Amino acid sequence: MTDTQWPRFEVFLQDRPETSHRNIGSVHAPDIEMAMMNARDVFVRRPSCISLWVVPVDAIYAKTVQEIEADPELFRDRLGDESSVDKYDIFRKSSQRRAMTFVIYTGQVEATSPELALQKAIEIFGDGTTYVWWVCPERIILRSQESDIPSMFAPAKDKEYRQPRDYKVVSAMQEVKREQPGKGGR
Amino acid sequence: MKETTDARIDEQLVQFTLSMADDELILAHRNSEWTGHAPILEEDIAFSNIAQDELGHASLWYDLCCNLSDDDPDRLVFFRTPDEYRNVLMVELPKSDWAFTIARQYLFDAYELVSLNNLVNSTYRPIAEVAGKIRTEEIYHYRHTSSWIKRLGLGTEESNMRTQKALNELWSFAGQLFIDSPSIQMLADSGVAPRSEILRQEWEEIVVPFLQDSGFLIPSAEPVDAIRGDHTGNLTSLLAEMQEVARTDPSAKW
Amino acid sequence: MEEENQAYQVKLREFEGRIASGEKIEPGDWMPDEYRQQLIRMISQHAHSEIVGMLPEGAWITRAPNLRRKMVLLAKVQDEGGHGQYLYHAAETLGATREEMIDALLSGKAKYASVFNYPTLNWADMGVIGWLVDGAAIKNQTMLAQCSYGPYSRAMVRICAEEGFHMKQGKEMVMRYAQGTDEQRIMTQDALDRWWWPTLMMFGLPDDVSTNSPALKRWGIKTRSNDTLRQEFINELIPELYLLGFNVPDDDLTFDEESGNWVSGDIDWDEFWRVIRGDGPCNKERMETRQKAHDDGLWVREALSAYAERMQKRAEA
Repeated sequence: MTDTQWPRFEVFLQDRPETSHRNIGSVHAPDIEMAMMNARDVFVRRPSCISLWVVPVDAIYAKTVQEIEADPELFRDRLGDESSVDKYDIFRKSSQRRAMTFVIYTGQVEATSPELALQKAIEIFGDGTTYVWWVCPERIILRSQESDIPSMFAPAKDKEYRQPRDYKVVSAMQEVKREQPGKGGR
Repeated sequence: MKETTDARIDEQLVQFTLSMADDELILAHRNSEWTGHAPILEEDIAFSNIAQDELGHASLWYDLCCNLSDDDPDRLVFFRTPDEYRNVLMVELPKSDWAFTIARQYLFDAYELVSLNNLVNSTYRPIAEVAGKIRTEEIYHYRHTSSWIKRLGLGTEESNMRTQKALNELWSFAGQLFIDSPSIQMLADSGVAPRSEILRQEWEEIVVPFLQDSGFLIPSAEPVDAIRGDHTGNLTSLLAEMQEVARTDPSAKW
Repeated sequence: MEEENQAYQVKLREFEGRIASGEKIEPGDWMPDEYRQQLIRMISQHAHSEIVGMLPEGAWITRAPNLRRKMVLLAKVQDEGGHGQYLYHAAETLGATREEMIDALLSGKAKYASVFNYPTLNWADMGVIGWLVDGAAIKNQTMLAQCSYGPYSRAMVRICAEEGFHMKQGKEMVMRYAQGTDEQRIMTQDALDRWWWPTLMMFGLPDDVSTNSPALKRWGIKTRSNDTLRQEFINELIPELYLLGFNVPDDDLTFDEESGNWVSGDIDWDEFWRVIRGDGPCNKERMETRQKAHDDGLWVREALSAYAERMQKRAEA
């Protein structure tokens, strides 16, 4: 058997009820349940999370605006099976200003293929400032539940020792300076 | 501090909270030995989390104990001798391989869950509060460890065999968690802590079907003949390392 | 050929224009092959450094002298694993696989920061490493947070936020031991004597000999020079170390009134090369440890893959 580092799963995190899920990275895991737990352990060591979504990387259909513009045939003949209409979750990157932002959850469309889902998404959600689109079938995403919050996300709040503010080195150094004026020079 | 009205119960409380604390501390110490050495990066990070949680739990129990006995947690941890420690033998065993570590963690996590489910109803409020706090994290530990046990059991022949071997070795040590004593009986009579027999039943109700569903045989081994306070050479070498730096100068602040 | 070359030049100009205007390059965007390769090399080396860096400090978790220090060190080393994880991810978005990257590390093909090839000899090393080594890393990482490649930039922002605690917990320790017992002061001075020069070497070769910089600068990857960052670091650390009563193992250190700089003595670059090429005090040991963890974990990774495969087949049936 070949040794692998296990498949990858993209991770989406929602930090507050008012914000949307955003992609923050990926985890390696043998399966999606372990991926959910790995995502929690890798990305929620510090507070500000109320929900996590994980999805196998292969399930994501990703296109940058560059790629879309470079391929005029992209949406042609992608009808797929009429009977297999799926709900697709749509994520997009629509800002260059916020350094921490990549793709954020925008909404859902129904379509018979990822390409057509993207096409629909551009029509419905596109506003000229989208740089990257991610499209993914809703049913493949594993989502944490509200009942998971106390055991999965709340514990990070108690670990103050992981925060810089728990170490009062600035005030301590000022104290040392006061006690020893003139030292620390040439 | 919030003593009970009965001095004898207070003495049992000190021993009880110390036992809970020592279990968590020694297990955390063993688990921390995996940091940088786990089978895959994500699990290295996950297991370090568990060890940190356990240190946090140990701190909660030590704080409770020290409130009752007017002592200091760091003194308890770094300046007691092995024979003064009250952890069970199972947690001081060397970490061995990943199968052994997971098997030990699973058996202990299941025990801790049933113990905490009872302790949240303790008639001694400080214990009920600490138990409540710890339980929210323990729910996640059990989820994590049970997922691993299932996958090791139903993975490959090798993973099943290694883990079965570990379970066989650990079963009698797990039994020590449920050994009755006058002290436990006294605490149970006052509703402070659950009876050993109740714990054992509840633990078996969870562990036996789960292990069987995971492709394991349930070992049949008598509980190890030991009470809390009995230790092996494992604890001596563990503490020698753990206390090494602190003991260079008891007056130093680190 | 001429047309192809022209088309390439157009794409290149567009690409460089995006970078110049502060846009992030994302996975899927057109990029010159050299940009991709340089980034994979840089990012994976950075990731390897974090992972190998877990070892010198991880060894002291079992000997931490009080409960708080034990928990803090465990959290710090865990963070380093996490940082390696974010960085491997960034490299993966460029097409590298983790299997390939790990293989490159263990076979000796890939490098990692040489600072982690030195041994940790006493407890005070934990404080000194936190203040100095993580302090130096923060300088570098703060610069990289501006980098043009989205996933690397975002990983750096996250890492910088978490690294703050690493530096501060170390500084807190050093400050406490400075004002502590004689043994603690001696122990800490000893650690400083051993970690000062390796830390300065973390900033890389002097600007006049470093070969990597021009392309990296043009493409918004490395925007500040090694010497500049190194000098800033020295200027920040020296006054505070002296204030605490410590010495720095540099007999040639002088203060230049005109520039306001603390001018360091000569760095031993021969040592730097020896260590990078694998001849440092702990190179062999570090790699053996990583190899062992990898080998010991093989049956585990295989078992969980087998389980997942079986469940997948069952679901499809």
